Amino acid sequence: MTDLSQYLPILIFLGIAVGLSALFVFLPMGVSRLTGTHNPDAAKLSEYECGFPAFEDSRSQFDVRFYLVAILFIIFDLEAAFLFPWAVSLQDIGWAGWTTMMVFLAELALGLVYAWKKGALDWE
Amino acid sequence: MIKLIVFLPLLAALVAGLGNRMIGNVVAKAITTGALLTSCALSWPIFLAFVAGNASPSVTPLFTWMQSGGLDIAWSLRVDTLTAVMLVVVTSVSSLVHIYSWGYMDEDPDQPRFFAYLSLFTFAMLMLVTANNLVQMFFGWEGVGLASYLLIGFWFKKPSANAAAIKAFVVNRVGDLGFMLGIFGTFLVFGTVSIPDILAAAPGMAGSAITFLGMRLDTMTILTLLLFVGAMGKSAQLGLHTWLPDAMEGPTPVSALIHAATMVTAGVFMVCRLSPMFEAAPVAQGFVIFIGAATCLFAATVATTQTDIKRVIAYSTCSQLGYMFFAAGVGAYGAAMFHLFTHAFFKALLFLGAGSVIHAMHHEQDMRYYGALRKRIPLTFWAMVAGTLAITGVGIPGLAVGFAGFWSKDAILESAWAAGSLGVEGGHLAFLVGAFAALLTSFYSWRLIFLTFFGKARWTQSEHIAHALHDAHGDHHADSDHDNPPSQEDAGHEPAQHGPAAAGLSDGTGGYHPHESPWSMLVPLIVLSIGAVAAGQVFHHVFVDPEGGLAFWNGSIAFDAHLAHASHEVPTWVMFTPFVVMLTGLWIAYNNYIRDPGAPARFTAMFGPLYTFLLNKWYFDELYNVIFVRPAFWFGRLFWQRGDVGIIDRFGPDGAARAVQGGSVLTGRLQSGFLYTYALVMLLGLAGLATWAMVRF
Amino acid sequence: MNHDMSASLLLVAPELTLTLAGLALLIWAAFFGDRHATGISIAAVAALVGAGALTSLAPAAGGNAFDGLARVDAFSTFAHVLIYFAAAVAIIIAPRFFRAHTPGGHGLMRAEYPILIVFAAVGMGMMVSATDLMTLYVGLEMNSLAAYVLASFIRTDTRSAEAGLKYFVLGALASGILLYGMSLLYGFSGTTNFAGIAAAMGADFSGGLVFGLVFVLAGLAFKISAVPFHMWTPDVYEGAPTPVTAFFASAPKVAAMALTVRVCIEAFGPTTLDWQQIIIFLALASTILGAVGAIGQRNIKRLLAYSSINNVGFALIGLAAGSEAGVAATMSYMAVYVVMTLGSFLCILQLRDAGGAYVEDIARMAGLGKARPWLVGAIALFMFSLAGIPPLFGFWPKFLVFDAAVRAGLLPLAIIGALSSVISAFYYLKVIKTMAFDEAPADAPQWTAEGNAVETGLIGFTATAISPLGYLAIAPLAYLSGNAALALFR
Repeated sequence: MTDLSQYLPILIFLGIAVGLSALFVFLPMGVSRLTGTHNPDAAKLSEYECGFPAFEDSRSQFDVRFYLVAILFIIFDLEAAFLFPWAVSLQDIGWAGWTTMMVFLAELALGLVYAWKKGALDWE
Repeated sequence: MIKLIVFLPLLAALVAGLGNRMIGNVVAKAITTGALLTSCALSWPIFLAFVAGNASPSVTPLFTWMQSGGLDIAWSLRVDTLTAVMLVVVTSVSSLVHIYSWGYMDEDPDQPRFFAYLSLFTFAMLMLVTANNLVQMFFGWEGVGLASYLLIGFWFKKPSANAAAIKAFVVNRVGDLGFMLGIFGTFLVFGTVSIPDILAAAPGMAGSAITFLGMRLDTMTILTLLLFVGAMGKSAQLGLHTWLPDAMEGPTPVSALIHAATMVTAGVFMVCRLSPMFEAAPVAQGFVIFIGAATCLFAATVATTQTDIKRVIAYSTCSQLGYMFFAAGVGAYGAAMFHLFTHAFFKALLFLGAGSVIHAMHHEQDMRYYGALRKRIPLTFWAMVAGTLAITGVGIPGLAVGFAGFWSKDAILESAWAAGSLGVEGGHLAFLVGAFAALLTSFYSWRLIFLTFFGKARWTQSEHIAHALHDAHGDHHADSDHDNPPSQEDAGHEPAQHGPAAAGLSDGTGGYHPHESPWSMLVPLIVLSIGAVAAGQVFHHVFVDPEGGLAFWNGSIAFDAHLAHASHEVPTWVMFTPFVVMLTGLWIAYNNYIRDPGAPARFTAMFGPLYTFLLNKWYFDELYNVIFVRPAFWFGRLFWQRGDVGIIDRFGPDGAARAVQGGSVLTGRLQSGFLYTYALVMLLGLAGLATWAMVRF
Repeated sequence: MNHDMSASLLLVAPELTLTLAGLALLIWAAFFGDRHATGISIAAVAALVGAGALTSLAPAAGGNAFDGLARVDAFSTFAHVLIYFAAAVAIIIAPRFFRAHTPGGHGLMRAEYPILIVFAAVGMGMMVSATDLMTLYVGLEMNSLAAYVLASFIRTDTRSAEAGLKYFVLGALASGILLYGMSLLYGFSGTTNFAGIAAAMGADFSGGLVFGLVFVLAGLAFKISAVPFHMWTPDVYEGAPTPVTAFFASAPKVAAMALTVRVCIEAFGPTTLDWQQIIIFLALASTILGAVGAIGQRNIKRLLAYSSINNVGFALIGLAAGSEAGVAATMSYMAVYVVMTLGSFLCILQLRDAGGAYVEDIARMAGLGKARPWLVGAIALFMFSLAGIPPLFGFWPKFLVFDAAVRAGLLPLAIIGALSSVISAFYYLKVIKTMAFDEAPADAPQWTAEGNAVETGLIGFTATAISPLGYLAIAPLAYLSGNAALALFR
């Protein structure tokens, strides 16, 4: 079998990530509990997600522009995800790596131009 | 040249058959008739060259047909004496019949088809007689069978014609099976289907034996018997003869060409062509003698009672073929071929004459409603008389003068006696049977003439005549005749109507006036009459004389000069017997039908059972019906309903179709349109594949 | 940029050209909109033709690009040419169809259509030259994403939208399966390179690799729509706009089939006996279900969807043989199949009633033979050819795959395949019978004879190619497909 020990850093990273995200969720709750006034009502206690009620018929209509924005966001989010490893390894991959990423960015920019021109970014 | 002879009819058949209505009646008729006349004109020089003795056998290769292992079959055209004889017979009779049909079929709506079939038949027959190997011969053999089937059923809207066509085809299949097995066996034994090779090797095979199903059987006997079964089927010999009388449902020219002069003699031709094989198989020869003689007698007896003019001639044909076969059986192949040659002329003549009579009598075929036609259609009468003189063998033995049949039939009878004297078993018996059959031949042939042409007119009793008269009165003759295809043959005659109809009632004519046929029909009659009168006189020395025959046949048949010589040395009473029986038959016929017309009735009253037996053709059809047809139907129904429908269809095609249909429905149901079904199927497939891979792993 | 880089770029010149062209056309479309759809289409076809011409730059001995991520050889070139041809045809046949689907019937085609086809072509080009799981996946997804959009290209048509959604969801599932298989392969072999995977399989064929193999093949089977991963095909083919269906039935099939062949031979080579079993199963299931399922269909596009499933099964029979001859037979099959299928769809695109609406219901086509005898003649040719009836050219590749299977000892497979082709002949003949011999129903469409020189020419060309004249192409086709197969078995 493949030596799984080399996946250990990922495991550690996973542990830290889970710990940190839990901290981000629960720390504000704890702090507010300790510092603020505790005066709950129905609206305050209901779940909060992206401006939609969580428990409703999922077939509700919403403006497709939400969707467009979300997709554009995802694309550029992923672009950023690619940029991180590229940035740290730029020393090793040299000009070829640099060129490749520039091409990638240019392509995404062209995509943005298309979306912009098509009016995907106009809200009204 | 031989290529032209053989392929012109095919070409004409294709043009006329495919062109059909596009090229029109006259063009189709002209093309086919022209092609046949050309073939005929090219054939006679070949024949005459052989007669003159300055031609040698040749083989014209065309192209390879099939080649597989030791089997090597090529298309080629063989011309030797035997072929040359058949060439002139086939092309002459065929071209005359083509001409005759111009008149006879004049008002038929389907003339191009008819002429195309005729030409196609001629082509197939020519392929048969020019074959250099058994397979090509079989091709021609089947080709003529096909053409015969098509022509018997030419009036396909007539149920009886269809039935007759099917009967001819089926009965011939029995014979063809024998022929096929014979070919297979020959190839098995000789390793070749080439006729010259087989014939060269045949004498060496005499007496060899093969083992079949644990029995030791004489090789040549088996092979020749199988081949002879084929000949029996095609030549309507006793046992497989039942199709021939029914084949008379076809138009009369067809009867003349196919069922008298050419196709039915193919069996005789085949036996003669393969005569060295038969010479190596004495047992088979005995069988041939027996079958030939029996057919000869049987058919002659039946012919005496028939009343349909064409059926009488059909049984007569059957009987004459019997002569040819027993001649071949005793080894007198020259005599057999000679009789084939002369018979072609006088039998075609009789048939065409009968056609002319039928044409004149508004398609009435029953002789009982004829009579007194001698003065009305004199040319036909004289032609028929010439044919009858020929078939009954009129001639003077001592002076060597006589009609065609005299030469050939006497040669056969004398050969039979001589062969018997030389030790061939059954030779004497064949002579006696043949002589008795000659008496019957004379009787029924003259009976036909007397009933048709002499005595009083008995036309009023005929429905056909009544029909014609009625139509003439009603004046819508054309409509009723042309709208009713089964009565296509009725369309030939326009009854003349002179004066009041009642005028003729008292004399039995009913006021009907038969007319002589058109010249297109009479010319062939005249030409054939010449042949019937002179063919024997002119050609006998080359066909059957010991010296002339040997030189003429030149090895193309196993000509036995010794036997031929012996047949000239027979006792005087043997020589005169045919002459005497011929006169006897003539006298009986004259007595019964001219002098004392009441005699036949008294005779039938006295010998009632015998008469009924003969009238019903020895009950062959009924016998076959019980022995073969009904069990065959029973088996057929069994296999069809139980075997085919019940098992094969159910689990075969129908089952497969049902399975496919079921699968289709199932697939359709699976294709529900819902994503989760699709995903499920994909995942199930994935799981299945993974499981299978793991199991294998 | 080092030397390797420029050599690699040269090797992928066709894809590069198409990418640049696609981007440029995208901007063109963004700024000038649908008014320039015709110009963009022409440019797209030109780009495809250019890319096709550039495939001739491929070195005869083949060459590896980007450190073994892709390989350009006779095999990829063969597939490239087929794909570009099919893609170009898919663009050419589109405008008239989309015009009929705009309000009033004389609007414009959307300019994005040719661009999406070009991008799909880029993805397919990557697929057929992929020698690494990475390239494989990126190429496949690139093609798929374009395809999802194409399937739902007529947004206002619910059937089209439904087709796109179904295709997307099931495609995502298939991608998941494929990715899972790839991760297994990577996890157990430590490499994503085909040659590396082959080496690992040859050394130690572990259970993880078996699963990886099965999952990857399942993912690819989805793309070629082999049973049981075919479920999307009839719905998507029926719902998608007809030019898009024609495209789906031709180019992506070739690409995915070529990819499957390459993966099987190059990556799974050492375990031929194992993947052979799976391919045999896929081939059998596809031929039989493709034949049986089509019988009940009433929609001509749905029928052709089953026909494509059926044909993919036959092509897989060649691959199942696992031999060089088998691969050559498969590639020949795909080549002829593309021509037959495009021809069939071209004919279907001519079936419009007086109102310009397209007729897809087979029953309504009764009596077409009287109105459009030439068209029905062409359809009859294509149907007979699809059924594999000699002397039409469709018979030849069928013969090749059966021959290869028999030579590889897979006689039962060949027999069952032949039987299913008999079944399939039934529905092909039924279409002909309906069109040519049935009486027109009372509500029969008034067929318009409005022609289009380009489409008529294409029909003529494809019909000629699959007619007995196609047999003239046997020698070159055998040479090319033989070279292609040789490149894999080098």
